[in-house]
Amino acid sequence: MSKYGDVAVIADQIQNDLRPVTFELLGAANDLAEKLGVKVLAIVMGHELGEIPQTLIYNGADKVYVVDQPELKEYSTLPYRRAAIAVLESLERPPHIVLCGATTLGRDLAPRIASYFETGLTADCTDLDIGDYVHKGKADPTKVGTYHNCLYSIRPSFGESLKARIIGPWKNPQMATARTGALVPFKTDTTRTGKIIRVTAKFEETDFRVRVIETAREVSDALDLLKAKVIVSGGFGLGGPEGFDLVRDLASIFGESAVGSSRKAVDSGWIPYSHQVGQTGKTVRPALYIALGISGAIQHRVGMSNSATIIAVNKDETAPIFQFAHYGIVGDLYEVAPLLKEHLKQSMSN
Amino acid sequence: MSDGLKIVVLIKQVPDTSSAAGVNPDGTVDRVRARKMMNPFDQFALQKAIETRNAHGGEIIVVSMGPPPALAILHEACEYGADKGYLLSDRRLAASDTLATAFALFKTIEFIGNVDIVFTGLQTTDGDTAQVGPQIAERLDFPQVTYCEKMSIEGRTIRASRIIDGGIQRLEVDIPALITIANSASRLEHKRFYNVYRTRELLRDKQTLAKTVMTITLDNIGADPARVGLMGSPTVVGKTWKLGEKGGSCKMFQGDSAKHGVETLIESLSEDERGIEEYVL
Ligand SMILES: Cc1cc2nc3c(=O)[nH]c(=O)nc-3n(C[C@H](O)[C@H](O)[C@H](O)COP(=O)(O)OP(=O)(O)OC[C@H]3O[C@@H](n4cnc5c(N)ncnc54)[C@H](O)[C@@H]3O)c2cc1C
Ligand SMILES: Nc1ncnc2c1ncn2[C@@H]1O[C@H](COP(=O)(O)O)[C@@H](O)[C@H]1O
Repeated sequence: MSKYGDVAVIADQIQNDLRPVTFELLGAANDLAEKLGVKVLAIVMGHELGEIPQTLIYNGADKVYVVDQPELKEYSTLPYRRAAIAVLESLERPPHIVLCGATTLGRDLAPRIASYFETGLTADCTDLDIGDYVHKGKADPTKVGTYHNCLYSIRPSFGESLKARIIGPWKNPQMATARTGALVPFKTDTTRTGKIIRVTAKFEETDFRVRVIETAREVSDALDLLKAKVIVSGGFGLGGPEGFDLVRDLASIFGESAVGSSRKAVDSGWIPYSHQVGQTGKTVRPALYIALGISGAIQHRVGMSNSATIIAVNKDETAPIFQFAHYGIVGDLYEVAPLLKEHLKQSMSN
Repeated sequence: MSDGLKIVVLIKQVPDTSSAAGVNPDGTVDRVRARKMMNPFDQFALQKAIETRNAHGGEIIVVSMGPPPALAILHEACEYGADKGYLLSDRRLAASDTLATAFALFKTIEFIGNVDIVFTGLQTTDGDTAQVGPQIAERLDFPQVTYCEKMSIEGRTIRASRIIDGGIQRLEVDIPALITIANSASRLEHKRFYNVYRTRELLRDKQTLAKTVMTITLDNIGADPARVGLMGSPTVVGKTWKLGEKGGSCKMFQGDSAKHGVETLIESLSEDERGIEEYVL
């Protein structure tokens, strides 16, 4: 048995739809667990979860802790908090690491759990690793020492042009949330086997101080952004809200595509916030990202620079986006985008 | 409730990264030289608090934890319409992580006492964690609504809608509660509240101001110094480094005309090794 507890992932699930970040967390958890010589646990909460626990095993979980109760049908902070704590406290040995998505669910739930256990939590990580840490700081003598196999929680910091490695080996579990699109998902393997363990949470009346009246999931572009294989994004260079017609038009030729935007286009009121890519928007990782009239500010870059291929169209050859795009076309987007559409369509039909 | 609601808004002073002053050429922020401002997200929270107080009566107490210059944002908040402010300022708070910050702010809210609603911004632009709100709610044993866009109150019930991934959730919450306000909520209405609720007179009258915005320390709120600052923080920054510039690997197409550029690009794409053929070609 390893010296360390296991690596646990809290599955991100809305209305029995496992969110993409879950598979990415399981991918990272497997890397971390291998380095520690421990197992990967998944914790999933909901109601009538059906095949979901099995799906988690196929996607990298060695053990799945399932809390399946009617009170958990819709996500609500306090019942989910109660259920997650019930699972974590039922474990013989507390996990070394607990990971959540930096999603509207994970960012709501993870800080409550971390605060309950009075442990550290690093938000919005873009990378996770295991390593040693030497603390020399004199300010707090209680922390001085060498720590092995700590969780390295790596996240952008200070307006995103620095990366910081956050360490917290003094308390267990060491917790982090990770952005969707930042980590590499586990490669599904339907021959994997694992254990499914059911846990029952005991709710208290105070857990229902929030009542969910309705969960309305538009099959919106926001959802698509995180799943899309191709994203066409527009920026301030579009010159006005009508510019997004051009963006949509180009996106429409691809199968699984979505429309993104820079913050400046959102702030100008040209397109809803749910389309925003970047530090204060979504982190995306499509196969192809086409940026039309986006300068490539660092805050935009951190949200899309993991895209497999980036094509940028900008009339200014010195635009920063050309420093990290793979293909750049210098020109007026109103001239280039229709041509791109025509040529891409042609080559796709061949 | 005849006296209306007791509302706390948590606001933080952050470097203004949108102005060139204090932003280094490489994009890093020079915290000393940078202009300071009220965290943009907290402005949405303050606006929601003002709307709520105006509709239901009561008082707004703005609270910030930070060094003495942070008094400026509390003064500013009073100009917009907050009734009172506390700055928690104490050297022993230095290097607090989110758990320690939340503990200190929780103790301040306890010190204020009988609070009905705590509003926070969704996140700060410097800390950028969105954790402090929910961590405080856990300590207070309050229910919470994060990513709140819209809300209204009837009696002791808040009706709210919050953003979730790919949709919206509509909720009912019992008061007391903690609410974090999303940036798609209504913006702070500068001019209107400036004129209607407070005037600059407040700022000119130093004595009134000193009574309106007070600086307090850990001793005032009875917080154990071992639970804040470096000692109370389970996390530390181990190392930082600059985001590497990739630079130079971009294949540029300028050509004589856009048409030529696109044609050459399509040709290059067919040789692309990143595996996009499946979707594109
Ligand atoms: C705390 C903080 C958080 C932020 N978060 C985000 C975020 O999440 N996402 C985000 O995107 N930004 C974010 N920003 C803003 C960011 O710094 C930039 O201001 C923003 O990304 C710029 O948007 P843009 O590229 O569309 O506009 P601009 O920088 O104005 O660029 C427009 C570009 O279009 C080009 N152009 C103009 N006309 C044409 C034409 N006809 N044809 C071709 N090209 C043309 C111009 O050459 C220019 O390069 C944040 C900023 C801060 C301070
Ligand atoms: N030092 C602080 N003083 C007052 N409020 C704070 C402070 N830090 C965080 N907050 C509040 O908590 C929210 C989330 O902050 P953060 O977790 O840093 O992203 C902010 O929008 C503020 O409302």
